[in-house]
Amino acid sequence: MVDVNKLREIAREVISREDVRELIGYRPGTYGFRARPAFVMGPDEVDELIFTPACVNNLASYIALEEKPPVRRGEEPDLRKVAVMVKGCDSRALVQQMEEKAYDRDQILVLGIPCTGVVDMAKVQERFPDVLEPAEITLEGDKFILSFNGSKEEVPGEELLAEKCKRCRYPTPLVYDELLDEEVERFADDDYSDVEALENRSVEEKWDYWEEKFSRCIRCYSCRNVCPMCYCEDCVLDRLQPMWMRRSVDISENTAYHVARAYHLAGRCIQCGECERVCPVDIPLMELNRKFYKDVEDLYDYEPGTEVEAEPLLSTFSVDDSEEFIM
Amino acid sequence: MAVKKLSKEKIAEVLQELSKFRLIAPALSDDVVIFKEIQDPEEAYLDYGNSTVPPKKVVFPQTETLFRFQIGNPELTEKDVGEEGTTVIFGLRPCDARAMAIVDKLFRWDYDDPYYLKRRELVTLVGMACVEPPSINCFCTSVGGSPFGKEGLDLLLTDMGDEHYLVQALTEKGEKLQETLAPHLGDAGDKDESKVEELAKEAEGKILRSINPEGIPEKLPGLWDHGLWKEASASCLGCGICTFLCPTCHCFDIQDEVEESGEGRRARMWDSCMFSEYTVHASGHNPRPTRKERTRNRINHKYSYYPDRFDVIACVGCGRCINLCPVNIDILDILEQVVEA
Amino acid sequence: MDNPYIPYQVNILEAWYETPGERCIKTFKVTFADDKVWDNWNHLPGQCAMVGIPGVGESMFCISSSPTEEGFLRFSIMIMGKTTTALHELEAGDSFYLRGPLGNNFPLDEWKGKNIVTIGGGIGQAPLRPVIQWVRDNRDDYGELELIYGARSSADHCFKVEFEDIDQSDDCACHLSIDVEEEEWPHFVGFVPTLLMEVAPSPENAIAVTCGPPIMIKFVLENLEKLGFKPDQVYTTLENRMKCGIGKCGRCNVGHLYVCKDGPVFSYEQLKDIPEAFA
Repeated sequence: MVDVNKLREIAREVISREDVRELIGYRPGTYGFRARPAFVMGPDEVDELIFTPACVNNLASYIALEEKPPVRRGEEPDLRKVAVMVKGCDSRALVQQMEEKAYDRDQILVLGIPCTGVVDMAKVQERFPDVLEPAEITLEGDKFILSFNGSKEEVPGEELLAEKCKRCRYPTPLVYDELLDEEVERFADDDYSDVEALENRSVEEKWDYWEEKFSRCIRCYSCRNVCPMCYCEDCVLDRLQPMWMRRSVDISENTAYHVARAYHLAGRCIQCGECERVCPVDIPLMELNRKFYKDVEDLYDYEPGTEVEAEPLLSTFSVDDSEEFIM
Repeated sequence: MAVKKLSKEKIAEVLQELSKFRLIAPALSDDVVIFKEIQDPEEAYLDYGNSTVPPKKVVFPQTETLFRFQIGNPELTEKDVGEEGTTVIFGLRPCDARAMAIVDKLFRWDYDDPYYLKRRELVTLVGMACVEPPSINCFCTSVGGSPFGKEGLDLLLTDMGDEHYLVQALTEKGEKLQETLAPHLGDAGDKDESKVEELAKEAEGKILRSINPEGIPEKLPGLWDHGLWKEASASCLGCGICTFLCPTCHCFDIQDEVEESGEGRRARMWDSCMFSEYTVHASGHNPRPTRKERTRNRINHKYSYYPDRFDVIACVGCGRCINLCPVNIDILDILEQVVEA
Repeated sequence: MDNPYIPYQVNILEAWYETPGERCIKTFKVTFADDKVWDNWNHLPGQCAMVGIPGVGESMFCISSSPTEEGFLRFSIMIMGKTTTALHELEAGDSFYLRGPLGNNFPLDEWKGKNIVTIGGGIGQAPLRPVIQWVRDNRDDYGELELIYGARSSADHCFKVEFEDIDQSDDCACHLSIDVEEEEWPHFVGFVPTLLMEVAPSPENAIAVTCGPPIMIKFVLENLEKLGFKPDQVYTTLENRMKCGIGKCGRCNVGHLYVCKDGPVFSYEQLKDIPEAFA
């Protein structure tokens, strides 16, 4: 478990640096067990920073989401570094973004957090629906300790751990300037059993399955906006000229949206699972993305977001390519 | 107005009766509660808190046709909303009904929105009182509502806790529907209405979160340049969850769609003031270039501009935005900062 | 039409280009395909219409003609995006559709007896043209009429032929400018706000109406203040992205004001305390 005082000390040092503009970390949420992102601008703000199994957000998304507001005449844009705290899975997003040359390594300062797993907040809230006052979750051994209203409850890790953590291959960040705790050895692996279960269904079954899910989609675009890999300033699915996808919401357009996005993520999705977490209508988006992930691994023996120096899989041409042209 | 009693055993009968109309009731899609059209009473799921997507989508569909056309032919064919027929929304919560009454004011302001208002005419709202708050983040009592609130509803069902619902008709439309259901309903006793009053007070006491909105509409314009907006919006993803799930949000886009055959329609669909292209001009200029401006606009719209024009805060305290915001941006948290600023 | 979302078809009587170039402006003179629509049509200078083509889209444009010009409506449209590109392909004999009249109008009744100064830049002259036309057609109701107008170059001037006519008439004083020196340009050279200070209209019993690019408006407002105009003597039109045009879709608001309903005509008095107005 990360020592919160050590975390705050390091954060204080980092944000005090002249060349660091802001630090993105976690702080307690506004109710119950939730934690939320913190944007620290100065050393006097570090005392609200925490790291617990409730810190589910992938903060690497904010590197991609950064807005460049119009700058007044005579003013210079603030190009200093952004410091960001990332777990193992989150760090892969940074690696992949740099693999794709979205920005240079020296524009970010990475505070890596070796992670033993986060909770599935939906499961926590289902178990403890009445907890309003700020509450805490810690991990001790293989049990979660939930403290609220003056009492503590122990729950076996298995029951509250996020599904993605049960198959995590990279608990320790793959890129960092400082590590906030001891490295965590790999404790799980991914056997793609959920993907295989889907693969084995008939075409009709697959259509029925996804039709039920996509019919619920309200095109809030939360999945796209939270995704660290969706950082196109001008998303092709928002364009009106040409209109690749209509703005109307129906099963046809919804399917087009999700399938198009999954294709755009093929070879790029780093399995952080945020898309599925944020979806307000519980569409199992990771099942779709993991199918591509598995195919990419099978076909190309490639995992995105593991090496900054690697070439992006589907946007690199090599003279040794067996195909003569991209088509 | 008439007050009746409905035995819980007879709910299926009542739903069967109501399915003669277009019946919209809470149902499950996997584990998600949605309001959808049901034909079979078995499909109704009444052991629920509240739906994720509010029932506003019945009177204000996420996508709807305004008119149809054929390229080359000057005629425009208006969509006839009447085709949808008499509709009953069964089991909506008082906050969602109150939200409709709030949004009605806008859709009637100067110009009548024929699509929305026709649907409102065709729909009868049968509410289900909140004996327990559907969520810990409910705060309806702070903004003029109540878990047993009647505003906007035609009929209100209250679970008496004793295997019966009390059925109160609140409007002429409600009475008419109640008459249709008469064979399945029993008479209410004298003590029943006062029991419901008691239950109402208990329910109000179970609402845990609150804000005092007094003075907020007047205070907000002065806080335009305050630092709280940058802070509140820093973690915003710019998605549409808060707006699409909000029962009082009503912004929409209008787009023309044409098929290869030349058949086309002008449709409107929900839009969100939190999307970056919401206010982008054709020239590329965006008067609300970052999430800070958009967050500030959203809160101002609900808690200042709307009450300024229509005398009511455009928020019913349903808590959906708080529950489902992926980054825990909390409107009560923001409003507290407004109060303290 | 009861349904405010259903547009009227209009036939183009005449169409011509006002200005050339990448952002050229085309004027359309149109009449309703169904004559009966005229019976219930009532618009005043300042009001707008949602102009569009089913299958493409709609955009809000000011009606650039005064109701005193009977039997037709005029729109002057700058090419910018999807809808305007499609509109520019239309010629006399073609049709498009419009919904209106939408929005509020210049309070011309209140302005009776006053001196009117219009200050326009580029395409901004389009909403000012009906004001000038109205005043000229109701000449005795108003005091002096001054027209100040500028554009980047003489080619970029809208309504060139009309200005010649106005210049030669004696019911309106016409002051024109271009930004940069040109051979054979007989009038002022400089920006519109500077020309305004040269003309220096008196604020005494006067109303100033201005429309043009945001940067021009900014300096014009400053200069009008210097000349002694009070905020309630100054009027402008705002624009914003619009969809429904009738106050329902929510997007055109500037602060608490809906540009499509409370505007597009606003006095500076209304706008001066709204930060969003000049974003």
